[in-house]
Amino acid sequence: MRGRQVDFFYDRYEMTADGDVRVQLSDGTVIRGDTFAMDLKLNRYIVAGNVHVDGKTVHLTGAALAGYLDLDKTYFLPETTGAPQRWTFFGSDWTDEHPGRAQPGDTFYLPDLTGLRPYIRAQRVLIVPRDVATFTNLSIAPLGLSVPLPRYVFVFSANSHYFENAFAGGRFDVGIPLLGGEHSLSALHVRNDPIDGTYLAFDQHFVWDKDYVVFAIDPLTQPQKQINLIGYKRWSPKFESRIFAQETIDAQEPSVTHDLGLFGEPANAAAFGELDLNAGLRHSGLSFVRDNYYGYLLGYYHPPDDAAFDPDPPYDPRWREHPTTTTLSWTEAETRAFGRYAPLLFRLRSGVGDAHDVYGEGGFPNEQPGPEDAFYHYLGGTFYTSPIKVGRYSFSTSYDRQLEWFNTPHLLDEGDLRFALGRPFDKQHINAFLSYDVQTLDDKWGALQDEAYPAPFGNTICNPGYGCYSGQDAFVGLATMRTWSISGVWSPSSAFTLNVIAQRRYDFPAPVPGPPYGYGRSPEDVTADVRIRLAPNILLDLSRTYSFGFGGNRWNPGGTFALLP
Amino acid sequence: MTTRRIFTLLAILALCALALPTLAQGGLVRFTGQLLDVRDGYVYFSTGDAFKLAPDVKLLDYVTGKPTTLQPHVKLYARAVLDPATKQVTELDLTPKKVPFQTVFAPDVTAAAANTATVVAPELIGGKRITGKQVPVEFLVTVPPTTAITDVVYLATDVSNWNPQAVRLDRVDGERYRTVLHLASGTKFTFRVTRGSWNSVAVGPDGLEEDPITFFVPETDAYSRKVTVAAWSDDRTGAPQEAQPGAVPTPFNPNPFNNGSGLFPRSRATPPGGLPPTRPGPQNPP
Repeated sequence: MRGRQVDFFYDRYEMTADGDVRVQLSDGTVIRGDTFAMDLKLNRYIVAGNVHVDGKTVHLTGAALAGYLDLDKTYFLPETTGAPQRWTFFGSDWTDEHPGRAQPGDTFYLPDLTGLRPYIRAQRVLIVPRDVATFTNLSIAPLGLSVPLPRYVFVFSANSHYFENAFAGGRFDVGIPLLGGEHSLSALHVRNDPIDGTYLAFDQHFVWDKDYVVFAIDPLTQPQKQINLIGYKRWSPKFESRIFAQETIDAQEPSVTHDLGLFGEPANAAAFGELDLNAGLRHSGLSFVRDNYYGYLLGYYHPPDDAAFDPDPPYDPRWREHPTTTTLSWTEAETRAFGRYAPLLFRLRSGVGDAHDVYGEGGFPNEQPGPEDAFYHYLGGTFYTSPIKVGRYSFSTSYDRQLEWFNTPHLLDEGDLRFALGRPFDKQHINAFLSYDVQTLDDKWGALQDEAYPAPFGNTICNPGYGCYSGQDAFVGLATMRTWSISGVWSPSSAFTLNVIAQRRYDFPAPVPGPPYGYGRSPEDVTADVRIRLAPNILLDLSRTYSFGFGGNRWNPGGTFALLP
Repeated sequence: MTTRRIFTLLAILALCALALPTLAQGGLVRFTGQLLDVRDGYVYFSTGDAFKLAPDVKLLDYVTGKPTTLQPHVKLYARAVLDPATKQVTELDLTPKKVPFQTVFAPDVTAAAANTATVVAPELIGGKRITGKQVPVEFLVTVPPTTAITDVVYLATDVSNWNPQAVRLDRVDGERYRTVLHLASGTKFTFRVTRGSWNSVAVGPDGLEEDPITFFVPETDAYSRKVTVAAWSDDRTGAPQEAQPGAVPTPFNPNPFNNGSGLFPRSRATPPGGLPPTRPGPQNPP
């Protein structure tokens, strides 16, 4: 579609054009008129004023034409010398006008966009209904500032796969789609995060109804890069597969300061790959997950005996291993325990797996070797109530238990018991809840318990600047974590929401703050989240956590901007 | 006498002349709306109605009632005044400003295209008129009971570029999150429930990815949309444990095979003098 001026109103998903409008349909039919309007969400358009329709089998003139793509109908007000008529065409069949057929009440209504500013102003646009609109020779004005661009792709698809990627979290991410079509989208991203600062990233999507492939480089302009590939395929309604491959490269030599570039030989490279297979069974699901870790992809440095650590370039012999984990798990769907009216439900699960080379040499956090393979199987379940209303209160409870046996003399016994009570205070526009959670993690080694859990740093840990903490010998692998949480959400208007959650934790072993031997969670913290709607489609979301000085942490800043419908 | 008769006759004529416009106005028909086109002697409105123009149709300003230089064209608003006798538009009052749609029909006016629809269109039956009024819509999402208390749940929608953190919900009890949006009736969009990233999306009871949920704001005073999340894509088993299957050792014992513990032999790869610093650069995902 082209016209003297094409405007796109982002917050209304409305596209308009005025002056010598020319619309070419996919069957080659050309519609000309004085004005054009399309609602991208309702998937309907109208051409009005001195309308001419020309195609292989059609040559019409009239006052207005409206295309309802979801109904596959075209409505037309033809030029007439007798009584006025309304015609309805079915699909792309222009041979039968079906005069006098009922039409929607607002068939030829033009949108009222009074007072709105267009987000994009262009001269030409290619629209793929229900998916994308590609503008050319445009200017974009997100905040009133006009920026010329040669091309811009706006995706309004109901298919979320156009936007799924593997970018790591950032403080902001502005996508600039450059190329796109019915099944593809190429976009540059301007991103910012605390580690890499502000940088460019790139992703390429190939999208079908159920399947998609995403390739991404993030960051594109920093020495350390991650190259990601995601592939998803729905083979049948009950079987799907997903692969994720990631290569992390450091393109900057430690001894030099310049970036070796995107295609330069990296100084370091690692990779991770995951294969997910999921099958739907009757009232349950089966999942197979295989993770592969490649800690070092550049081959081995001299000397051949890789038992030696070579500091320049740095080479850690642990990186030579390729740890893998494999899990096959079965999970039951939600099941009612005593008929449909009892609020007691449960879900069972079980699985088998193998962890290969995850100890010691594979680059996992522990720095010591262990068995090459650890086979395990587990059995678990969650028992819970749906929220039970007692007056203004809503009560729920859940208990989860899982036992995991390893081929080594080793059993993990984990439990989680939770009680929660919620209540709305309607007059004050507040929703509040209180919960108590007890988690247990028993790492049982039988007769070898003391050997598996020696106090690694002695009975007393002293961290400079944080004090000494004794009693480490008391912990032999049986941990208990209790947490009280209280939360309030205040929404006095649709433009303001305040959410505050405070937590107090009683953990055993008690947390020890500060480096080098610190571990555990902050005993108490408060998180506040404030959302203020600045404009109909701009929401400011600020969140901060206060940790009362544990480990030197007090305020943890964070904030996001989000565009809302 | 003759003079008196003449004056009486003149008075009656004057009264008739004064009364004529009133009588005439009472029979006229007015139709107000947005113009689509004026062509071949017809004026077309965005309602789909069309009326024949009288040869001497007057173009007047909608507000002042005086002659205007505006020419009728698409997007202008107009009030058409019809003569029921001829069924033609005798006056067209034009304005570029929006004016409310209004009709005053006489029963015998049949010149409008609106009266030509006689064939039923099955695809349109059952539709309800949508006014676009603001409707408070509550989204109430029930999550797996093992979802961590501090986890944040979001809606990702197709009208926010599928940002996985587009609409934040607030936890209101042990298993439910809630938010209220004020949306125009007739609004239609699709959404997914996430925990803030595309790695953590709601999946079905069988662990398979589900299609986005299509939502339509009905013409009502308030509306509640309830959604139940069976599991998350990064935790299909719904296990809340600190140590996931395979993620050994536990967080409290990263080193169960301590040197010298006797459980397992020392690694042949452990270099003399201890291990080097951690590998530079981003770490692999856990």
